[in-house]
Amino acid sequence: MFEIFEYDFMQRAFLAGIIIATLASVSGTFIVLKRYSMMSETLAHSALVGVAVGLVAGFNPLWMAVIVAVLSAWTIEYLRSSFSLYSDAILSILLSGSLAVAIIIVSLGGAFNNSLFSYLFGSILSVSGEDIVVISVFGALSLALLLAFSKELYFIAYDEEVAKTSGVKVRLLNFLLVTVVAVIIALSIRVVGSLLIGALMVIPTVSALQYRVGFLKTGLISLAIALLSVIFGMTLSFYFSLPSGATIVICVIVIFIISLAANKR
Amino acid sequence: MPLKFKVPIFDVKGVSFAINGQKILSGVSFEIFNAQYIAIIGPNGGGKTTLIRLLLGLEKQTAGEIRLYGKKIKDFREWEKIGYVPQRASLIDENFPATVQDIVNMGRISKRGLFSGLSVEDKNAVEDAMMKMDVLNLKNKMVGTLSGGQRQRVMIARALASKPEILILDEPNTGVDMVSQKSFYSLLAKLNKEENITILFITHDIGVIADDIGRLFTINQKATICNNPKELLGCDDMTALYGIEAHLIHNHKHEH
Repeated sequence: MFEIFEYDFMQRAFLAGIIIATLASVSGTFIVLKRYSMMSETLAHSALVGVAVGLVAGFNPLWMAVIVAVLSAWTIEYLRSSFSLYSDAILSILLSGSLAVAIIIVSLGGAFNNSLFSYLFGSILSVSGEDIVVISVFGALSLALLLAFSKELYFIAYDEEVAKTSGVKVRLLNFLLVTVVAVIIALSIRVVGSLLIGALMVIPTVSALQYRVGFLKTGLISLAIALLSVIFGMTLSFYFSLPSGATIVICVIVIFIISLAANKR
Repeated sequence: MPLKFKVPIFDVKGVSFAINGQKILSGVSFEIFNAQYIAIIGPNGGGKTTLIRLLLGLEKQTAGEIRLYGKKIKDFREWEKIGYVPQRASLIDENFPATVQDIVNMGRISKRGLFSGLSVEDKNAVEDAMMKMDVLNLKNKMVGTLSGGQRQRVMIARALASKPEILILDEPNTGVDMVSQKSFYSLLAKLNKEENITILFITHDIGVIADDIGRLFTINQKATICNNPKELLGCDDMTALYGIEAHLIHNHKHEH
């Protein structure tokens, strides 16, 4: 039963998976409640631009992904708060724009190879010890920030204007949230892939919302769903030689369907 | 006998607001002192909501000055003194994961530190607010499952949890039935009389609350301040001040 843990790479994969599931579901709760679900997809594609620059120019792709994703998150938040543009339209524009830029950079640099491919779909089974350290350190920081401001972020998600008139620094915290989300996404795409991280961020919360419970319980259910999906997904992926990121996403979707059916009004 | 502060809660001087060149408010001036009960009436599009948004710093006036407790809005920090209930209050998204307690806890936001839960003082204030608004028995219910009238009371409990000195309500009656509205109005009057909370209230039901209010602001681009609303409601000048809507108010009065 536990032969899966006899392999070092599987131990690392599980550890990375559990950290990322925690980060994705906690940050995802705020993103979903703010109707920002598309944000995760857009930032994941922006992070790809960073990866492309890193691969072509010989910088560390992970750091470049973090930088570009954060810049993209700030651009989105600035456009949203300063111009009367539809949020989903801004996200859509940046999503396709980022992907286009990433593809052009990679083809010009002649680096359109397996390396970029692994960032698109993730390669949880090739997580290195160094990856674990980076994910743990930045993950802990991001989680601490989210938890420190959780009641403010919840209030903003409930009603931005009422939060503002209650003295909450709405603009600053919105920038903080998108920055943390950008960092989490950039850290995660190496492991789950830019095409799949959005699912791990959004679907656990949407599933948890079906149970119609208060904020804290919703967050905890969402966390449990994300962890279960990662653990099931990776176990299935190990025994049936399936791609890990995609298997995790299928697991989370199955849990979503069960949640939906179980709570049908 | 309520004490009057020397410094008014709101001091509005010559405030104008325009959007895309279109004038919404022009040269509005008034002061609001402690423990007053003020109703704001006026035709749709007359600038009532804009005025409240200006007072709360959600919009920036194009001319004039607004002071809150003597301070410019950008320098004002004591937001717990202000309780705001917007128009859409009772129209909360039914899927939003919030119990009544979750919502009322939000009212304590300015008192709580990072990572910290609710202190004993916070818990007492939340419970007190829920009791005043008669929603304590609903505290574990999801807000999305409540009736319009119950939601309205929860939103006011949230505003009360910070122990505000002024409550600002922007027509929070959408989706609320007539019976709930009546008990809501008597609650507001009680808060004003017994707790000395200043109330600034946009409403269309002026006939119903005429006996409670102390001042009436009529907003239609310009503001007309009336310190004796009963007299105003009874006189023909109302039509001149309020335009065609004046007749609606009189009809309301007969209805109830």
